[in-house]
Amino acid sequence: MMKWNLYSRGDKFFAIAVSVLIGMFTIATLYPFIYIAAVSFSSGFAAQAGKVVLTPIDATLEAYGYILKDPQFWISYRNTFIYTIGGTVMSMLFIIPGAYALSRPQLKGRRYFNLFIAFTMWFNAGLIPFFLNMRDLNLLDSMFGIILAFAVNAFNIILLRNFFEAIPQSFEEAARMDGANDFQVLWKVFVPLSKPAIATITLFCIVSRWNGFFWAMVLLQSEDKIPLQVFLRHTIANLSDNDEFAIVQTAAGFSAETVTGAIIVSSIIPVLVVYPFIQKYFEKGILLGGVKE
Amino acid sequence: MRKLSLATALLAGSAITTPVFADGHLKIVQGDPLELTIQMNHARYPVYEEEWPVEQQAREWTNINLVDVTVGANMRTDENTGKTEALNLMLAGGNIPDIVGSSRIKDFVNQYGPEGAFLPLNDLIAENAPNLQAYLDERPEIASAIQAADGNMYYVPYLPDGKYGRAYWIRTDWLEKLGLEVPQTVEEFEAALRAFKTQDPNGNGLADEVPYFARQWPELIRLVTLWDGRSSGSDTYHDFYVDDGTLRHPYAGEGYRDGISNLARWYAEGLIDAEIFTRGSSARDFLLSENLGGATHDWFASTSGYNKLSSEIEGFEFKAMAPPASVSGKRIEEHRRIPIKPDGWAIGYTNKYPVETIKYFDFWFTEEGRRLANFGVEGQQYDLIDGKAIFKQEFLDAGPVNRSLYQVGAQLQGRGYFQDYNYEIQWSNEFALEGIALYDEGDYLIDQFLGVAFNADEQKVYDKYWGTIRDYMLERQQGWILGNGDVMEDWADYTAQLDELGYQDVLAVMQSAYTRQYGGK
Amino acid sequence: MAEEHTSAAGQPLQEAVIEAQEARRQGFNDGQLTRLFDHFKREWQVYAMLLPTIIWFLVFLYKPMYGLQIAFKDYSIFRGVAGSPWVGLEHFQTLFTNDQFLRAVGNTIKISALNLIFGFPAPIILALMFNEVLHASYKRTAQTIVYLPHFISSVIIAGIVITAFSPTVGIVNTIMGWFGLDPIYFLTRPEWFRPIFVGAGIWQEAGFGSIIFLAAIAGVSPSLYESAVVDGANRWQMMWKITIPSILPTILIMLIIRIGNVMEVSFELVILLYQPATYETADVVNTWIYRQGLQSGQYDLAAAGGLFNAVVAFVLVMTANTLSRRFSRTSLW
Repeated sequence: MMKWNLYSRGDKFFAIAVSVLIGMFTIATLYPFIYIAAVSFSSGFAAQAGKVVLTPIDATLEAYGYILKDPQFWISYRNTFIYTIGGTVMSMLFIIPGAYALSRPQLKGRRYFNLFIAFTMWFNAGLIPFFLNMRDLNLLDSMFGIILAFAVNAFNIILLRNFFEAIPQSFEEAARMDGANDFQVLWKVFVPLSKPAIATITLFCIVSRWNGFFWAMVLLQSEDKIPLQVFLRHTIANLSDNDEFAIVQTAAGFSAETVTGAIIVSSIIPVLVVYPFIQKYFEKGILLGGVKE
Repeated sequence: MRKLSLATALLAGSAITTPVFADGHLKIVQGDPLELTIQMNHARYPVYEEEWPVEQQAREWTNINLVDVTVGANMRTDENTGKTEALNLMLAGGNIPDIVGSSRIKDFVNQYGPEGAFLPLNDLIAENAPNLQAYLDERPEIASAIQAADGNMYYVPYLPDGKYGRAYWIRTDWLEKLGLEVPQTVEEFEAALRAFKTQDPNGNGLADEVPYFARQWPELIRLVTLWDGRSSGSDTYHDFYVDDGTLRHPYAGEGYRDGISNLARWYAEGLIDAEIFTRGSSARDFLLSENLGGATHDWFASTSGYNKLSSEIEGFEFKAMAPPASVSGKRIEEHRRIPIKPDGWAIGYTNKYPVETIKYFDFWFTEEGRRLANFGVEGQQYDLIDGKAIFKQEFLDAGPVNRSLYQVGAQLQGRGYFQDYNYEIQWSNEFALEGIALYDEGDYLIDQFLGVAFNADEQKVYDKYWGTIRDYMLERQQGWILGNGDVMEDWADYTAQLDELGYQDVLAVMQSAYTRQYGGK
Repeated sequence: MAEEHTSAAGQPLQEAVIEAQEARRQGFNDGQLTRLFDHFKREWQVYAMLLPTIIWFLVFLYKPMYGLQIAFKDYSIFRGVAGSPWVGLEHFQTLFTNDQFLRAVGNTIKISALNLIFGFPAPIILALMFNEVLHASYKRTAQTIVYLPHFISSVIIAGIVITAFSPTVGIVNTIMGWFGLDPIYFLTRPEWFRPIFVGAGIWQEAGFGSIIFLAAIAGVSPSLYESAVVDGANRWQMMWKITIPSILPTILIMLIIRIGNVMEVSFELVILLYQPATYETADVVNTWIYRQGLQSGQYDLAAAGGLFNAVVAFVLVMTANTLSRRFSRTSLW
């Protein structure tokens, strides 16, 4: 970045104004997290009554106690890690070579391949046909099935392909002149040059896996394979009483709301930890210089 | 093959009142136990747990073992939307188990039963299930309500016991403070609400009281009964009702019109929670614990528990009151527990042992079976004292009773059984019991609409028009309450619009289905 | 100037050039089949890299697409797709003769238009703003925070929105009270639904959405900025003349995809925020179908609605894609 003292007065004003606006937006977007954290540390009744605004009311650790004591919480947490890491790795194995191939002009029928892939962003078969397909492939109730069947999506391929296309041809030509084949060009030239893009796709894969619950819920039969988000929904279902029989829960210090809050907070912590590592790739440092144009 | 002797069959089906010894009179098969596969999925018990004490006891008595094969075990049937995706997945997968049990199973089996997915039960019950048949003989309206459009029964329902659901509740300590009697008429009720708003019964110097509130906003519409209108015929909101054999919809009646007009006036005056449409399920907790809420219309069991707030708010007393008399002097409580739920279980068409299965279903209607389904296992959850099941004290103290019962396999809504209200009385709070006695005395309950089953043509008409009509009714309803438009002025246009949207057609098919199903009673 | 497209994005021209180069290498008299064969012999690696992906799409996404037929059948889960009878366009007829469905389509388009005008630029503006923040740890912390709402489920976001706009305790009405304005029960007013909904969406998603653009900006060569400084440009000019043009391909791709999402309005958030009183502006195609489906498991009607959504979106995307390809060389295909 530029040096501050090289900035003109106008630039300084601009930079400060931008920082202030960012600050305001940051506070606004921080609120939901503060809110849910406050709920998670509040008493069940206070949260159920909607009294929590910014700080915990009748603070208690009961909600956390409830989930931490539940072995299913830990199992689901572990499963989420497996799906996230396994899923992201699997995705990269398909997406990176695939996007590279699609970005090469010498690929015949490029446009049709791209259309073939993009088409799936709008047209999908529906819940039951997809479910039956998984059954026919023997991938029901299978962790591998969850990892494989959602490994690829058109959006990520298109995005990465777009980034690859933006890399000047001179880089490829330089590598070819050194005798590199396509695999080597991809691995030694394109991947290092596309770090921000690959970091982005990686992040999208990670986030999508981390948050994913719908298909895990539908396809998995055993409870020991479910990810955290499905566990969250189970917990809500378990703790919500129906009208006919509900008695005011005073004995328990937790409620569906506080336990939900505790689970959400627990699931966000890794995200907060991982993101700064990925952010590194968004910093400056991509040397596109060094090639005579 | 498991053959049954006639004697065994008769013995298994008869109800014996003497205590059960291990004499095998409830046994349905001899020799090795018969295994039947079952799908049962519910929000709180996603699979059928073979380890449940109740299941173990049933196995011992009937010699039939249920084996869990639940598909979609991780899906949770949403109690609010009634979406039964697990059932759909099971059906799509092509393997229908011997027994399928679920909440919201009725529409499912009534649609796919006639297509052949489930066995019709009428003859099976008549020939093999004497206890169940006796129950149905005593309650012909329930027998009619279970039927599908082709006249067949495809499931054995969960049959709740206990009459009352919701009641009117009011801060009797506020009434006392302001020198008012418990309102007996709609005018007195309005006056009481107005007094709550203007005379500061919570004593903090602010006019922050919320005289009438509700956890579900249609409970506001419930109040149209005070002007001789109706808001629903069953325990589902916005449902049709039966008026002496004729189907009508409450939102097209003149009493409803008058009611809405008055409620709009109350809302404008601040007698009704300004946020009633969006406050949602936290309303009762928040408004009562913050000493702001004055009156509501809600469930006996749960609302009575709020009287424990008297330890935090001095003098707090929230008691049930009899429904105020309407403008024509009638007192009714429109809401009651529905005697038949759309929950229960059915027999899959691939079941090779339908006779044994129906006898198994019948077992739960014997005295022992019913007690097992309601109270759990004798000696574990309850003791038999003078022929009545009394829960052990440590069981009652262990936490919410219903949850404890699910965890041993009792009170399962996916099972077809007849509930026993005595199980609930034992842990009902004194305020609830007091209120129930009050309502019993006054006999305020009215007849309920138990639903109809359409044939294909009727279903088409209903599907085509009803969603749109209902949405239109609700849009206008909220609008009028909020003060957008005047219901009296708009009424003629409103009814004309309903007819244009196909309201008469929907009424016609509902009526034809009703007459066919219930014989025009 | 390093402005020419030396990248591989200029398709037809490049392909023709390469074809010609290949032909030259092989000699003029070789037949087309031989040329094709040689092409694969030389370029097999590229195809090998693509093959797993293509197979994946075929196996997981294309194979079940027979399910699209459901929209044209009287579908029974028990009978299966093959066993259910055809009803042709009957479901579509049911949809299009229903005024409320048509209204829902209108609402969907209007909300998407608002989302396009306000929701689409928001992450871009955010990314550009982040680019101007000098203090590294402030920037990094802020970036981490703004994308958090994406992880907080819509149920909680909706709860916060409802409370914020509550007529009695909400912060919005409180602030209005300071200016002497009467409280408004926002979430029951049709005219307020869309702004609130779009605003809530931006709040929830702008941070996460800016990540793509941050990545794109990170790919811009610093030397460009350095030479601009020498030329005396200020930051504002640099943003318009360097940053934005450099990330234009990304913006265009995202725009095309966003146009393709015109019929997908966040169903979950609408359900949580709407009321019958606001159906007039709030009811969208997916929520309408959901309410219809409450009666009976109307998979076929839902499939017809979904197919309608898909076709509309696809037509729009094709148009946008063609325009983009013609004028900027960037396109989805």
